[in-house]
Amino acid sequence: MLVEIVQGSLASIEHEVETAIARTSRSPMIRDAHDFRAGIHDRLLRKLTGRSYSALVHPVARDFPLAEMRPGDVFFHNDVYRSEGGIGHLPDLCVTVPVFAGGRVVAFVQAFGHHDDIGGAVPGSMPSAATSVYEEGLMVPPIRLWDAGTPNRAALAIMTRNSRMPESLAADLDAECSACLMGARRLGELFERYGVEAVEACFDAIIDRTTQTYQREILAKIPVGSWVWEDYAEHDGVDEPMLHTQRITLTRTGPEDPGGERVILDFAGTSPQAKGPINHCGDYSDGVFLKKWLAPILRNLADTPERMAELDVNEGVVPLIEMRFPPKGTLLTPEFPAPTNARTFVILRLLGVLAGVLAKAVDGRMPADQETIRYTGVYGIDLAGRPYLMREVLGGGSGGRYYADGEDTIHVVPDSRNLPTEFTESRFPFVVESLSVAVDSGGPGKFRGGLGYEKQLRMLADAHFMSIADRSILACWGVNGGLAGRPFAVVVDPGGPDERTVDALADAEPVRAGEVIRIRTTGGGGWGDPLERDPALVVRDVRWAKVSSDGARDDYGVVLTGSGDELAYDAGATAALRADRIAERGESEVFFDRGPGYATLADGATHAAVDVR
Amino acid sequence: MTSGPSRAGSLRIGIDTGGTFTDVVAFDEASGALLTTKTPSTPHDPAEGFLAGIDKILAASGAARDAIAAVSHGTTVATNQLLEGHVGRLGFITNTGYESVLEIARQSVPDGYGNSYFWVKPDRIVPRDRVKGVGGRMTWTGDELRPFDVDEARTAAQWFREQGIDTLGVCFLHSYANPAHEQAMRAILAEEHPDAVVSISSEVLREYREYERSMTTLVDAAVKPKVAAYVRRIAHSLEEYADGGVPFYVMKSNGGVLSATEVVNQPISTVLSGPAAGALGAALIASVAGFDRVLTCDGGGTSTDVSVVIDGEPTLTTEGSVGAYPSKIPMIDVVTVGAGGGSIAWLSPEGTLKVGPQSAGADPGPLCYATGGTDVTITDAHVVLGRIPPHLLGGEIPLDVDAARKGIEALAGRLGMSVEETATGVLEISAWNQANALRQITVKRGLDVRDFTLTTFGGSGSLLLCRLMDVLGIPTVLVPPNPGNVSAFGLLTVDVKNDYVQTAVRLATDLDAREVEDLYGGLAERASLALEAEGFAPADRRFVRTADLRYFGQAFEVRVPVPEGPLDAGALDEVAAAFHAEHRTLYGYDFAGDDSQQVEWVNLRVSGIGPLRRPTIRRHEREASASPSRPATPSSRRPVCFDAEQGYEDSGVYDRATLLPGEEVRGPAVIEEYGSTVPIHPGFVARIDTYLNVIVTREDEEK
Repeated sequence: MLVEIVQGSLASIEHEVETAIARTSRSPMIRDAHDFRAGIHDRLLRKLTGRSYSALVHPVARDFPLAEMRPGDVFFHNDVYRSEGGIGHLPDLCVTVPVFAGGRVVAFVQAFGHHDDIGGAVPGSMPSAATSVYEEGLMVPPIRLWDAGTPNRAALAIMTRNSRMPESLAADLDAECSACLMGARRLGELFERYGVEAVEACFDAIIDRTTQTYQREILAKIPVGSWVWEDYAEHDGVDEPMLHTQRITLTRTGPEDPGGERVILDFAGTSPQAKGPINHCGDYSDGVFLKKWLAPILRNLADTPERMAELDVNEGVVPLIEMRFPPKGTLLTPEFPAPTNARTFVILRLLGVLAGVLAKAVDGRMPADQETIRYTGVYGIDLAGRPYLMREVLGGGSGGRYYADGEDTIHVVPDSRNLPTEFTESRFPFVVESLSVAVDSGGPGKFRGGLGYEKQLRMLADAHFMSIADRSILACWGVNGGLAGRPFAVVVDPGGPDERTVDALADAEPVRAGEVIRIRTTGGGGWGDPLERDPALVVRDVRWAKVSSDGARDDYGVVLTGSGDELAYDAGATAALRADRIAERGESEVFFDRGPGYATLADGATHAAVDVR
Repeated sequence: MTSGPSRAGSLRIGIDTGGTFTDVVAFDEASGALLTTKTPSTPHDPAEGFLAGIDKILAASGAARDAIAAVSHGTTVATNQLLEGHVGRLGFITNTGYESVLEIARQSVPDGYGNSYFWVKPDRIVPRDRVKGVGGRMTWTGDELRPFDVDEARTAAQWFREQGIDTLGVCFLHSYANPAHEQAMRAILAEEHPDAVVSISSEVLREYREYERSMTTLVDAAVKPKVAAYVRRIAHSLEEYADGGVPFYVMKSNGGVLSATEVVNQPISTVLSGPAAGALGAALIASVAGFDRVLTCDGGGTSTDVSVVIDGEPTLTTEGSVGAYPSKIPMIDVVTVGAGGGSIAWLSPEGTLKVGPQSAGADPGPLCYATGGTDVTITDAHVVLGRIPPHLLGGEIPLDVDAARKGIEALAGRLGMSVEETATGVLEISAWNQANALRQITVKRGLDVRDFTLTTFGGSGSLLLCRLMDVLGIPTVLVPPNPGNVSAFGLLTVDVKNDYVQTAVRLATDLDAREVEDLYGGLAERASLALEAEGFAPADRRFVRTADLRYFGQAFEVRVPVPEGPLDAGALDEVAAAFHAEHRTLYGYDFAGDDSQQVEWVNLRVSGIGPLRRPTIRRHEREASASPSRPATPSSRRPVCFDAEQGYEDSGVYDRATLLPGEEVRGPAVIEEYGSTVPIHPGFVARIDTYLNVIVTREDEEK
């Protein structure tokens, strides 16, 4: 009984902390993109809440003995290489508040969020061509930012002095500290009411239950055996585009294994660390951050989408996953001071690599690929002469599933929001001429991939465009006969005299007043053979402007008749066209489709060796 | 205080139509008498039960039809339509280039990280092929960037007519700043598609954020046909009911009422009609009893609604939703939890006990109703423990205690616990679900739940009040008399109220007091015209000004009052000071005195209020203070289990109808009345106050 009560209270406290931060923050990354997380951890540093990822308490506990902590202390860090893998890049500022009961530390409430600017070479602290972490901003190892209720003004002054946006940095830090202190008080009350021993017994039970649930409902779905798959980041901002490999060899052990039934993820075969900022420090503390970051993918193995949504990811998943890292010097084991600000591409991609290798293990019953984080924006001087920086995280389409099409314009981070036109136009010098979905961008499949955005901004003043995006050459893969979606693409002045394509890693592309910037984001991969898609759904997709008439014929083999409200298909002609297509293409063992961009980076190869079933 | 539109009669009637019963309360303005009754609801035609209720209360009061001064009504027509997701065949007209705004929404996936891989988006409120784009564009300042494309507008209107789509929402960008294009669109629709029901966003919600405004406008359009038909049908019946008709008001989600003729033009404002009335009724009762900070807890069969009322004013939100549909119009801030009498206890795949949100409702109902239910419910746990009597509604409906016990035994067997442990466990989880809702609604406003008096009502609202006091540290709980009629009573306690908003984003440093004054003047003028139409003389019209402010860069605003009288720089500074203070209350910090943190004004709001006379709650002739507290006499005794370890304890059972002011009941005990039960746990004491409220406190906190 008490377990339910404790679990309910933890969820409610976490929710309150996040609500308080969301409502008062300034950095658009926190406020709108919701790129921040609260988490509750016990004194053994185990994560208790399960709706999201969070940073780690390990670095704080490493540097500050629990016995010396006092009520009102707030710890702070953002130093990637001193974070035990919990912080991926410097703009993610993390505050940690110890919870006290009976005079000792019993738990922690923590929040970390992506702030506007923490210094470094470019506005926004994400220089795409950085070659060391020193260009990425101010590094703060774990420090005591508040000492028994008293803020350390000197430390705050140093941090705000190093930021281009000192007001929002100060305000957002205040928001995070206040919210965590509030959460710590609430959690303390729970301990006072039921006693430390009883509450900690509940923590054990909460974690054990998760372990058992994953054993029963997830691990049981993976046959004993070993599979390997890989995917790639396409550029690191420094070298010419190339395949930066991330490889997972997944081994599901059986009951007779001396280490017990579990999943072993071996990253051997991952590329050397990049010169540019796409490295991720994954190999600290046995990969405990990455385990919890990747485990949500496992939920796709549960019986129904409803059940998948119910499964929490807390410390209980950790005993079921063993990680094996290659020696130092790879994308996942970079050596200080390798840059990391765009590590998002690598850890996002790893979600897909795990989904892909699982798809091989479970006969394709996993979703096709999605890519939902990239940063696009404009900055300069507005019409009133003030400097501005507008950055937005635009999602993309999700991959087709064995039970449904992918969804349009979604985001992997819960509650990550796009920016309303009525808000951005009032603050920044542009007109959003259209906010739409990119027709044909969803990967064709029996279950089509979801569509990416097509957003068109017309600048009212000269400005610079910036973009930090992957998947502009390679696409979101389709699986089990499904085809890849369309990649990310930015064009300035489309159809105009100065039409030009902008690189996906751009710090400062000049755009003149009056020019339109057209941003298209990635469509999700398709699932299953598009020639098996119900032609009536293809007709609907054309009416809904998700698939073009050409796409209906070329991608799906559907022969349309009529137009407008009379649009339909010719059943006989469709069957004949599809039969021709099937005969034309012959049999194939290739299980994944990476889209046409792959050949350009792979010396003309149509697929990788690991893509065969 | 004057009544607005006057009539000869003095009887004001409140009617709250629920799923099973229609509750009726009548207040005689002349004598101050208050009468209550209930009749069965008639879902096939709610008007039937409505008029039967009026007949019944008139008969009870011995009054004639022309004694009726006004009828106020809380309706769930819009609520139920939205909860059931029946929005019908809608069409949507927006700017060219934004036809996918509903599909895109805000890109957010609900709940957990990684859910984007398996989330299946619910169907959009309007499918893409029934969305038409029309050329023309405004800027955020309300200037015309491109003229309205009349030909495209005409083509779209004709298309909807040809397709037989006759419920339409219109939302153009920046129409909150300049509604001209939306008004032009409506004029063309009136020519080309005269039968269409149309909602335009600048009239529904004059506030920025295009997706939310589009959704709110479409929800308004969706409920308009049904709400209008329903309200008109009752209004029509009332016209014939008495000579010269009967003034008819409908409760709005914002805690005010509006005449039936006007409410059909803004049907979305009725989506929380019922909960708003309950909260306000409870608030008035508590305030008369001497409590001004009140949490209301209205427990029904499937869910419990909680809200916060301070100094008689319910806290409002503009971020509410009903079912799957967000609504940005001001509505009373109610948190609803799936914890009611019918909530089902079940075992998760992990083997742990859970309660709700699934409910057996009234059909098939709890096991003890013996009407086909197969799941253990909250009500079953109560009846097995003896906390409620083995019958409902004062004995009209017997309960099958054995069936409930068998169900709990089976559950207990699977859990390896005793029947009593299982039953108390089910109730404990349910109490925590309610407690978390109460905490959520207070904490998010920076309020401490322990500073509040809890008012519990509704059929199941009072059953767990002692546990809520313990869990939350609440010192006092008040249970009003006739707790089943609080919502109907609440309908008589409110004023006519209309809200007007205008987005006008300005930094405080750039603010021109005269411009702000003019904008407020425009809003007040609209409010005044509406009150005039409601029959309020100029002297009786009240206007409440508020503004939504934020620190530059924030995306959420904090609402603060704007003083009456002419606005000058000093008044504006006063508003900013109030904002700093409120920000500190809500979030624990502010930037008063820090010039680097600029204050920004976002929305200006005016509520136009036409005061109606509130019922007076009479003191009981027997003064509580006349003599020291004395124990009440139980009408019977029975064994009741309040704690599994203690087992069943011999407890007094009290008939509430016979309890008099000054009498007290010490736990373990049960106070029973028609339609509601108040278990008093050991260690708690219930005292009857001079208004016949039950006031529950802890014994160890007695003075």
